[in-house]
Amino acid sequence: MTSIGTGYDLSNSVFSPDGRNFQVEYAVKAVENGGTAIGIRCKDGVVLALEKLVTSKLLKKDANKRIATVDRNAGVVHSGLLPDGRHFVSRARDEASSWRGTYKAPIPGSALANRMGAYVQAYTLYNSVRPFGITAIIGGYDAETELSVDGAVGNGPKVGAGGKTQGVKEGGPFLYMVEPSGLYWGYYGAATGKGRQAAKAELEKLKLDPKEGNCISLEEGVKEAARIIYVAHEDSKDKEFELEMTWISSMSGPTKGRHEEVPKALREEAERLAKKSMEGEEEEEEKMEG
Amino acid sequence: MNHFPEAWGRPRDEIYGAYNPTYLPSSLGGAHQPTTRTQSPIVTGTSVLALKFSTGVVIAADNLASYGSLARFTDVHRLKPFNKRAVVGFGGDVSDMQYLDRLLNSLDVEENYTSSTGDSKQGGEEGLVDAPLMSAKNLHTYLAKVMYKRRTDFNPLWNALLIVGLDDQSQPFLASADLLGTTFSAPSLATGFGAHLAQPILRRVVPNEAASRELSREKAVEAIKECMKVLFYRDARSMNEYSIAVVDENGVELSENEKLENQSWAFADRIKGYGTQVV
Amino acid sequence: MFRNNYDNDSVTFSPQGRIFQVEYAQEAVKQGSVVVGIVSKTHAVLAAIKRNAEELSSYQRKIIPIDTHYGIALAGLASDARVLSNFMKQQSLASRLTYARPILLSDITARIGDRAQTNTQHYGKRPYGVGLLIAGVDARGPHLFEFQPSGVTVECVAGGIGARSQMARTYLERNLDEFENCGREELVKHALRALKDSLSQDKELTVENTSLGVAGMEENFKLYEGEEIAGWLETTFENKAEGETGAEGGEGMEVDT
Repeated sequence: MTSIGTGYDLSNSVFSPDGRNFQVEYAVKAVENGGTAIGIRCKDGVVLALEKLVTSKLLKKDANKRIATVDRNAGVVHSGLLPDGRHFVSRARDEASSWRGTYKAPIPGSALANRMGAYVQAYTLYNSVRPFGITAIIGGYDAETELSVDGAVGNGPKVGAGGKTQGVKEGGPFLYMVEPSGLYWGYYGAATGKGRQAAKAELEKLKLDPKEGNCISLEEGVKEAARIIYVAHEDSKDKEFELEMTWISSMSGPTKGRHEEVPKALREEAERLAKKSMEGEEEEEEKMEG
Repeated sequence: MNHFPEAWGRPRDEIYGAYNPTYLPSSLGGAHQPTTRTQSPIVTGTSVLALKFSTGVVIAADNLASYGSLARFTDVHRLKPFNKRAVVGFGGDVSDMQYLDRLLNSLDVEENYTSSTGDSKQGGEEGLVDAPLMSAKNLHTYLAKVMYKRRTDFNPLWNALLIVGLDDQSQPFLASADLLGTTFSAPSLATGFGAHLAQPILRRVVPNEAASRELSREKAVEAIKECMKVLFYRDARSMNEYSIAVVDENGVELSENEKLENQSWAFADRIKGYGTQVV
Repeated sequence: MFRNNYDNDSVTFSPQGRIFQVEYAQEAVKQGSVVVGIVSKTHAVLAAIKRNAEELSSYQRKIIPIDTHYGIALAGLASDARVLSNFMKQQSLASRLTYARPILLSDITARIGDRAQTNTQHYGKRPYGVGLLIAGVDARGPHLFEFQPSGVTVECVAGGIGARSQMARTYLERNLDEFENCGREELVKHALRALKDSLSQDKELTVENTSLGVAGMEENFKLYEGEEIAGWLETTFENKAEGETGAEGGEGMEVDT
């Protein structure tokens, strides 16, 4: 941050002599203070989880939901400036709906991430706007089964020309993270916000790479996500927080291809296990010390 | 030479030839016709029938889409469930039905932005969680507005719709909306040919609201099935395979592959005056 | 002193990732007179202090009914609130016209939140200089939302914004557990007591300077002003006087005469 005050950081879309766009870097700072948000891409679905810091006792409990549904099959969790997050979500919804308008089918995760990356990037190009003060994690499930085209009638030929190809499988769970610069990557496990370092360290321990086999299941993913949020919260332990979690599975899974909130009973069970494992670690530490 | 005022200041025909009015609309002697949009439906579905009973509504429509008098598509499902409280039945143009179905799909996606909790699907702890779900009445108001807007633009969606389900108070709801933007509500409703052939039969079953509150689900389904049969006897654009749905507090029960049973064509013998009959 | 170069517009982040213009707009809210809101299982209430420019002038409007099922209370630039309230009225009517259903409070709050966010991301615009409390009853029951110039919206059980509102919030936090099962009258009294806690020493709640808005499961949102609230003022501080110091209680009584 040695270049602060040299004048190249006062306007968006301006490069400094060493090729940096400071306003984008400052936008990242806004993200770094937000509650931790993570996403885990499991074998049979995706979990999104968020550490929601309780800023006031007067807030209604379990009300202020922050993980948003974009289309039936996709959700977004974000960290940073809340209103910017809602702007992002509202654009994502528009993209999903316009995709449906054109292609009569839900938007694939890759296309959604690409469109949103492009949109966020556009807010780094002009001095008349500022970059998004958020990092967003997009998770969802591209259908493997053949979905009927929106509004289709009839089933078409069962065999022969125009008939169905048997046994074709595409799609599956997807997870992307979009940064204020507009840069995005696909992830097996993604983390952003204040506790991202701790969260990333935990994510790296999980079996998430499908190429290596025995990738964790969605149910395990829910429990891990809860635990990781609790781990990431360790550094701001004095503050109260709420855990918000959503998930999405295939058509044959528990959410039937829809992005939904994790049922209360399952979330509470995951939280109980998370707290237990935290206590367990403390005991171990004590033993070591002893 | 024409000295009347309408010729003043105009090029003289004998020098320049007659004025060429082809670019003008036909009302001014030109070749241009007025702009027209949909003047008739193309691929069509026939009647939709619905009947309210004590705790819900039953609705039915056959699976045929006709191209003129040709029975073109035989697996077209014209009952579209919107959510667990509402079903829409479509009569009339099938492509307009597809358009409306996509519209309802995107409406459903929007409705689920805010109420996508896994808990509410399993009943939820409080009754209030389910309350904001769009009711059949809300849906009817919306569709009626869409239909009215399109007819006012002289670009109608060529359909007759029946919207059935439960209203805000979880009471049975049945209403229609059509290509003119007209809306109507009654204990029994039928569109198309059904309005002439099935409605009198249904009215015998439920002459008024009070009667529909007394009607059992079984009796209602039976009456609708009977009407589907009568329609198949007399409506040449109908088919013996149909869809039937029941909406009540337990949600939507939809069957899309029903077949007409116990048909009796004995009456056909007695019909005279058609085709090659001479006696 | 260093001059802050990062606070001239709402499209410039400071090196810490802050947007000063938005933070300054939040200050405008703190200049406005205090408003509070509380919800119970059955009711939602708003209470506000109205200011008058001078002795002979009228009092400002602090609570605006929007639709039959809800209303808003404002703190900050009243003209910005008017723009927002007009927008809210239009949106509420549109919901009733196209779907025949009252708009959800969460929906309308999100919509003004999105509008306010736009003002914080584009050059040549300024953030709204007003905070709102949105209270009423919809298909999901009674609700209270708080809206800030940044576009942040939160749902609360109780809330207070405006000048010295911290005192009101302290009162609300202290009595938080009681609200859920409060009856209508008791909820109004809580709101008035919270309001009073935010007044400076020399000020009192009077029929002239106090506004109330109440909505319930069985009743539409209604604005109460003037003599309509005399009864509430009387009973609220009558009871409270016993517990409080004699001097303050005495003042409370005087106002009612």
